[in-house]
Amino acid sequence: MRPVNFGIDLGTTNSLIGRFDNGSVTVYQNPIGHKETLASVVAFRSDRILVGDKAREYMLKDAVNVFGGFKRRMGTDEKYYVVNLDENVTPVQLSAYVLQELQRFVHGGEKPEAAVITIPASFDTMQSNATHTAGREAGLKEVFLLQEPIAASLAYFNQAPGEDHEGCWIVYDLGGGTFDVALVQIKEGEMKVVDHEGNNFLGGLDFDLMIVEQLIVPEIVRQTGIADFETELSTAYGPYEKLYYELLYKAEEAKKELSSYEATEIEFSTTIGDRRYDFNVTIDRAAFNQLLEKRVEETLSMLRQVLERNQLAAADIRQLILVGGSTFIPYVQERLELGTGIPVNKSVDPTTAVAVGAAYYAANKYYTPSVSPVEEHADIGSLLDNIVAAPEQPEEPEVQLVLSYSKMSKEPEEVLLVKVNGNVFNYSYRIVRADGGFDTGFMALKAKFTEFLPLLPGVANVFRLTLYDGQNRELPALGQELTITHGQYSIAGQPLPKDICIEVDDRENHTTKLELVFEKNSILPLKKTLYREISKTIKKGSDDKVIINIQEGDRYARPLSNLTIGCIEIQGKDLKSDLIKGSDIEIQLLLSDNRELSTEVYLVMTGQEFKNVFALSEKCISVARLREQFNDLEAEIRKTVKGFNYEENEIWAIQANSLLDGLLSHKASLHKLKDKERSDKKYVIAEAIGRISQEYDKIGGNERLQQLQAEYLHARDYAEQQLPACDFEQDRLKARFAQLVQNESQVLRTRNPSILQKAIGQLNDLIWEILTNTTSYLIVYFHRLKAAGPDAFTNYGAAQSIVRMADKALEQERFFEFRQHVYNLSHLLHNAQSMAGTTDFKGTGIG
Amino acid sequence: MDALIAVMNQVFEISRKLEEEHLSSRFERNFNKLNNIFEEEGFICNNPLGEKYTDARTDCTASIAGAEGRDMVITQVIKPVIYQKKDGALSLVQKGIVIVERKK
Repeated sequence: MRPVNFGIDLGTTNSLIGRFDNGSVTVYQNPIGHKETLASVVAFRSDRILVGDKAREYMLKDAVNVFGGFKRRMGTDEKYYVVNLDENVTPVQLSAYVLQELQRFVHGGEKPEAAVITIPASFDTMQSNATHTAGREAGLKEVFLLQEPIAASLAYFNQAPGEDHEGCWIVYDLGGGTFDVALVQIKEGEMKVVDHEGNNFLGGLDFDLMIVEQLIVPEIVRQTGIADFETELSTAYGPYEKLYYELLYKAEEAKKELSSYEATEIEFSTTIGDRRYDFNVTIDRAAFNQLLEKRVEETLSMLRQVLERNQLAAADIRQLILVGGSTFIPYVQERLELGTGIPVNKSVDPTTAVAVGAAYYAANKYYTPSVSPVEEHADIGSLLDNIVAAPEQPEEPEVQLVLSYSKMSKEPEEVLLVKVNGNVFNYSYRIVRADGGFDTGFMALKAKFTEFLPLLPGVANVFRLTLYDGQNRELPALGQELTITHGQYSIAGQPLPKDICIEVDDRENHTTKLELVFEKNSILPLKKTLYREISKTIKKGSDDKVIINIQEGDRYARPLSNLTIGCIEIQGKDLKSDLIKGSDIEIQLLLSDNRELSTEVYLVMTGQEFKNVFALSEKCISVARLREQFNDLEAEIRKTVKGFNYEENEIWAIQANSLLDGLLSHKASLHKLKDKERSDKKYVIAEAIGRISQEYDKIGGNERLQQLQAEYLHARDYAEQQLPACDFEQDRLKARFAQLVQNESQVLRTRNPSILQKAIGQLNDLIWEILTNTTSYLIVYFHRLKAAGPDAFTNYGAAQSIVRMADKALEQERFFEFRQHVYNLSHLLHNAQSMAGTTDFKGTGIG
Repeated sequence: MDALIAVMNQVFEISRKLEEEHLSSRFERNFNKLNNIFEEEGFICNNPLGEKYTDARTDCTASIAGAEGRDMVITQVIKPVIYQKKDGALSLVQKGIVIVERKK
């Protein structure tokens, strides 16, 4: 035996399903649209069956084929004639459709075999039996029924366990379209519905309509002077039908807002006669409350009738439990409290209370599963009994589906052709798109059929085709999944051979870096807009410039090593006004099928647009940027040579030195180049520098990269270990550490040693900062400084005086002050760290 | 997420009002940038105005104005369709609220 666990609120307007698991209840959401509720409506369209919200859309316009509110007819011999099917359906069959659809909400592969289904307190035996049958028809092996007021009470009682619940309770259920009030009694542990009252045509939908008719229409009449506007507005197929639906939707939104705010506004525009009107109707809570007064009073009077019939006073009622979405309205809650004098309980979610209570009840109900797990010590006899008792599984039909479709498409929809081999009679299928935006509903299976599948642009669209038998039971083995990628030609487009990047400033390291725009192997054509900030102020008329440098090559390489395929320089002279640092720049890049690059640069501050088209055969070089890159490379090689010499790595040092010589041989001619040089010289020099840069990156090969990777990891680990010991500014330093290691995987994958070197440098700086914010380290460091002789300091006298102050601070354990003295002392050292070389960096001007 | 969706709905409404006043071209860049920001946050907004409407479209909640038929199009969008991108796959987070009519 297994606990049932599933609880279903089969409502007149909406239905829900919940599951008890490990002490709490989960109310499942519709995989399509992510709502917890499912509209209790079934539509028999000409070629498919729809259940839920989609079906409700057709209620007014296709009334002969769409059915809602059938719960009220359960247990009667009433049948609904479906024009499209030319046959009758019963309320039981319609309820079964809703119950089947609810089972689809359950994710994780589990299929409910048994469930508790709730019924109104007013249901007689025939109606209850009909609900039971609907559950069985929906594929449930066992069905347990529970009255809705009891379910709602259970939801509340399970929130307040341990409390004594003996006595009388009122369950007040005001939903979307119906109202019920029930008196629930708990006596000696037994719970029962003693009495009830209700109105099948009173609920939230009526309130929406009242807002339209009594608050919005008078305003339209006042402004337009059309006295019979209300009649015109509500005329079916009339001139204002669109406006009517818009207002109904907005009225519902306003109603929800008024539950939280004192006033709300409804804005809309429409053309009446030949004139266009803009309306802005303010509705305050007082006006809304006045609207509701009469209807809420009706519910109160029914509640009083129940009390009177049972000779009960308000004081005899423990609490009033609220159920149904309309009980969210503050006025309803206030009137109940004041009008009855009974305390109102708002602790359970009124929209899910019935389903939640049903699931709690289901946790204590048991059924025999169709395939029960083999229990330990089970005897053969009982196992055989189980096999005999096991309900039949849907038979897998001997059919085979052959699907043809294009896996890639540029069209907004793609056709799917399905050929079915075998007997298709009585089977149906359904196709759902994984994101929830498309659902065919149940379609009769044919030997051959087509379906137009709408595609979301630029993504892989996943569809699931499911087959069902005559009782609408899923046939899992025959389901199929298909993926159609939109945005790509079905013939393989031309892939991009290398990354396309843009050079942007890396102000922290006083250099530039590459940022990926289009990834290698992306299919052409490609388009992207980058939104960046200007990283330096450029005065109107000056020689300063913004350089947009588009490169082809490896995104992890240094800009110099890659091929520039498009370069735009926007000078101060081109500007209409000053371009302030921090203002926005928009760069749109388009790479056509034949790899022609178009750029469109827009400077938001000046409102200027610069358009360029580059063919890849044409090289573009910025002399200013080339000079800066040359200087960067020179400085970097010199530093590396020094490092190699220090590590006594002679071979690498010789290689680096020879590259440095080669680089320096171009220095003079580069400096002679004019900014608008027309000769070929700039290309010759750029190519030579680029080649040296590539060769420099290759020095030491993998061995050097591995060494640097190890060095990086060592520095990272050390920083991480030291951080917890840090006494000052720990949060800031932790954030800095997180920022530095954020792109670690990219840093470790680079083939460019300088990127690794820079990352190591940044980590080392951080380690130094951590140590100088750690008191224990500062003490050791201070004693080292204190022991240094006069030659170590630029001003020994001042140093001695700081040492004395530091000693005193340390003695009195004023560590913050002590830290400041140590800092000051370190600045007097001869070899204090220089910050030179940081101000003359120009870069691209793009941050 | 709810706050961002509320902002997206407001942006949509502003752009719709500007379109009605024939002013939208002046703000095209701003709207492109806003949409870009939303996309970077993983949200994609789609205005289905003018698109074909069928009963298999579960990305919209529709009210049908006039008679219903097979040739329905979306003629008014009150709220746009919003998708969220998670782990490379899209999922519907807001159904569009639309009014549909037969093609004229």
